[in-house]
Amino acid sequence: MAASSETKGEGTLRKAFGGVLGFFILLLIGALAFSIRLFSVIKYESVIHEFDPYFNYRVTQFLTKNGIYDFWNWFDDRTWYPLGRVIGGTVYPGLTLTAGSIWWLLNNLNIPLSVETVCVFTAPIFSANASWATYLLTKEVKGTGAGLTAAALLALVPSYISRSVAGSYDNEAVAIFALIFTFYLYTKTLNTGSLFYATLNALSYFYMVCSWGGYTFIINLIPMHVLLCIVTGRYSPRLYIAYAPLVVLGTLLASLVPVVGFNAVMTSEHFASFLVFIIIHVVALVYYIKGILSPKMFKVAVTLVVTIGIAVCCAVLAILIALVASSPTKGWSGRSLSLLDPTYASKYIPIIASVSEHQPPTWPSYFMDINVLAFLVPAGIVACFLPLSDASSFMVLYITTSVYFSGVMVRLMLVLAPAACIMSGIALSEAFDVFTRSIKLQLPKLFESPPPGSGDIDSAQDEVVKVDNKAATDKSETAPKERPSKKNRKKEKEIVETTIKRPLKAKRLLVLPLEASAVAILLLIILGAFYVVHCVWAAAEAYSAPSIVLTSHSHDGLHVFDDFREAYAWLRHNTDVDDKVASWWDYGYQTTAMANRTVIVDNNTWNNTHIATVGTAMSSPEKPAWEIFNSLDVKYVLVVFGGLVGYPSDDINKFLWMVRIGGGVFPHIREPDYLRDGQYRIDAQATPTMLNCLMYKLSYYRFVETDGKGFDRVRRTEIGKKHFKLTHFEEVFTTHHWMVRIYKLKPPKNRIRGKSKKSKSNSKTSPSNSRRHGNLRKNPWQ
Amino acid sequence: MERFITNGLKKNACFSGYKPLCFPSASTAERRRGRCPSALTRLGLFSDSEKQALIMAKSNASDAQALIRSLRSAYAATPTNLKIIDLYVVFAIATAIIQVVYMGIVGSFPFNSFLSGVLSCVGTAVLAVCLRIQVNKENKEFKDLPPERAFADFVLCNLVLHLVIMNFLG
Repeated sequence: MAASSETKGEGTLRKAFGGVLGFFILLLIGALAFSIRLFSVIKYESVIHEFDPYFNYRVTQFLTKNGIYDFWNWFDDRTWYPLGRVIGGTVYPGLTLTAGSIWWLLNNLNIPLSVETVCVFTAPIFSANASWATYLLTKEVKGTGAGLTAAALLALVPSYISRSVAGSYDNEAVAIFALIFTFYLYTKTLNTGSLFYATLNALSYFYMVCSWGGYTFIINLIPMHVLLCIVTGRYSPRLYIAYAPLVVLGTLLASLVPVVGFNAVMTSEHFASFLVFIIIHVVALVYYIKGILSPKMFKVAVTLVVTIGIAVCCAVLAILIALVASSPTKGWSGRSLSLLDPTYASKYIPIIASVSEHQPPTWPSYFMDINVLAFLVPAGIVACFLPLSDASSFMVLYITTSVYFSGVMVRLMLVLAPAACIMSGIALSEAFDVFTRSIKLQLPKLFESPPPGSGDIDSAQDEVVKVDNKAATDKSETAPKERPSKKNRKKEKEIVETTIKRPLKAKRLLVLPLEASAVAILLLIILGAFYVVHCVWAAAEAYSAPSIVLTSHSHDGLHVFDDFREAYAWLRHNTDVDDKVASWWDYGYQTTAMANRTVIVDNNTWNNTHIATVGTAMSSPEKPAWEIFNSLDVKYVLVVFGGLVGYPSDDINKFLWMVRIGGGVFPHIREPDYLRDGQYRIDAQATPTMLNCLMYKLSYYRFVETDGKGFDRVRRTEIGKKHFKLTHFEEVFTTHHWMVRIYKLKPPKNRIRGKSKKSKSNSKTSPSNSRRHGNLRKNPWQ
Repeated sequence: MERFITNGLKKNACFSGYKPLCFPSASTAERRRGRCPSALTRLGLFSDSEKQALIMAKSNASDAQALIRSLRSAYAATPTNLKIIDLYVVFAIATAIIQVVYMGIVGSFPFNSFLSGVLSCVGTAVLAVCLRIQVNKENKEFKDLPPERAFADFVLCNLVLHLVIMNFLG
């Protein structure tokens, strides 16, 4: 957190010292960013987390084993049975390729790391990269001091930690780095006007497109900024160089990524950039003609150029509107539409709305995820306006849009986090700047002579230069650090010639009372300390749980629930390699990656009908469900049940989404049938449809045997139907804490059903299951 | 400048808003060149009194003539190397337009070929414009950028562009 002063003394030695110091600070920030994300490895183990990372891990394994060409052509027949999935063409390959090349490089250097280890540590490595990119970006906007502060803040910000702890091997881990780095190169191009940086910018944008669907944020934000600059009269040739090559190269590069392909020129998300591309050419032409013509002649030209420009714009607009209107979804994909209209997803696409990270965030989550930064951001915005440069106006636009997007979808809090860090870094650095400067100006006076008055601004102004040389020696540590920042700021000022005078004057006037600034510095340091404490807590406690292994603390010590891996290992060892396993889509990736069994649906929700089929099966009574599963060749059904240990995100809690998604395609599944007076319940008050659906039965089968009452610890109630038998499914495996239960579909019966014969055939087909004699009359569906 | 653009947008290209501005300036420009065509003075008189479609068309035509003349004379002052770049840009844009017309006639079936063809031309033109901006002596912002460096950047960017295009061509 560098402070700044008016040091004007020369000394290349000091500059070099500042550079080295800044380098070491950055190194430490990188180490901090890396190590704070290792809590999950230390507290649990080196394991891949959650759902999507398992898929990425599996793809990386495939890539390292079979090579890049097989990867591009990979048709995966172990998911989405019987459809399969073209992995190479539907996956964002950035993360996989990154980890794959890291692994390849390490192996070629004779460092034998497993693919899993590389995958686990990819996210922390890239968060260190992201904090360095933040430093670079903030340095472009406001100088080195702000850059270092922002980098330190970003290394710790909980929102980003939540997505990049070790083991969280997901697209966002590398995408945030790519996002910040692209923005850095854009501002760098904007400040220097160098075509070299524009090329790098396009390549970095390419990396972002490879990594994450969030690249549309970039390709909309940058045109918005360009438009803002044009409208506010800040057009410059640098703007043209920063933008026009990016659009052409960026579009071409984006089309190279198979998952984007022609979407880069066909969908509405990208149209804004083309429109602005045309506008900037019109504006550039106008400026050029203005430059070569005499002012009076130019006025003549304006009429013509404006008419032609408007005519072209109108024509293009008409074409665009016609194109957009001709496509069924108006060219927007569901996820983008739900960004613009927050209620869109919940109205039309239950499969998007069902994911908790697509919900709007609550207020506490802002405090949880960006903590004190939320209070510093407004100050940072104010600091960005003094003076307003192209780069700082870009940052203001970035924070404004990302605040909006984070309000729509909790997942996009991740995009807000870097902006908030940069803004807070600017704010903190400017505040320290002001306070330390006023201390520096007043300290020598305090020693030399009794101060004439703390509010004596005019005399302080006169002595600024005199005092500086002494003050510089006082703070030998902070002074060198801000020397580059000074230089940078000067460079910025040269660019913004119009605003050069005002900030200089303001800088002279900003001298605060000594005591006030000392107290303020103290308070700021305490604020920073609170932030650090919160971040470490969030990293250690809140965000490092892998969710594949669960722990709980109780009075008799630590309990570890390793049921998921237990179940997947059972599947891997006890089922045939080509057996199909049906479960709700959440567990699809894990089943293919860990159990290596074919699944019906998985977390890549590309086929809504297929998911709705599984949802319908889960919400149907036993017999129709068996028929659906049998038609899909399903051998085993896997359900997750948390009622015994109180694991809240189990299938019963997700069940209403299955009903909704199933009902969206198959209208005979109606949500009200499962609700009693609009309430979702599973106790004795529950509707018969609910009590007889497959999900209820598979979850609560034999549950009453555990405690005699059938008390569900998640729903905190006794279950509605306790004693029942299964006719078409048999239980084959239940994990230690009952969290995963696996059932096998019984083979179809040979004989026509009759009540007397059934029990016989039942016991004959499944002799292994000794619990299965019983009065079948209890089952209402027979 | 912005004022004009916003005016134009608001009034939807209605010419009447510009009339008082255009005519005197046009005639003064003509006068400065030492020629004083009677048509223009007449038009100047008319413009004060009434706005008629015929007059507007005529005035536009003469304005355009004057404008083109002054543009030509202003452009004649540009250095030769910039003129070469301009020619290159015009050639690239013309190629792009030919391709778009061809696509309109034949259809856009190998869409990636069409896209890479057009974007290659557009990209070339854009990069050449960037180069022109950077080597233009009149741009004060790029004073300390040597033209050799600008050209090296240009070559690098073109290299990347055409590598991508070759990859995308299919």
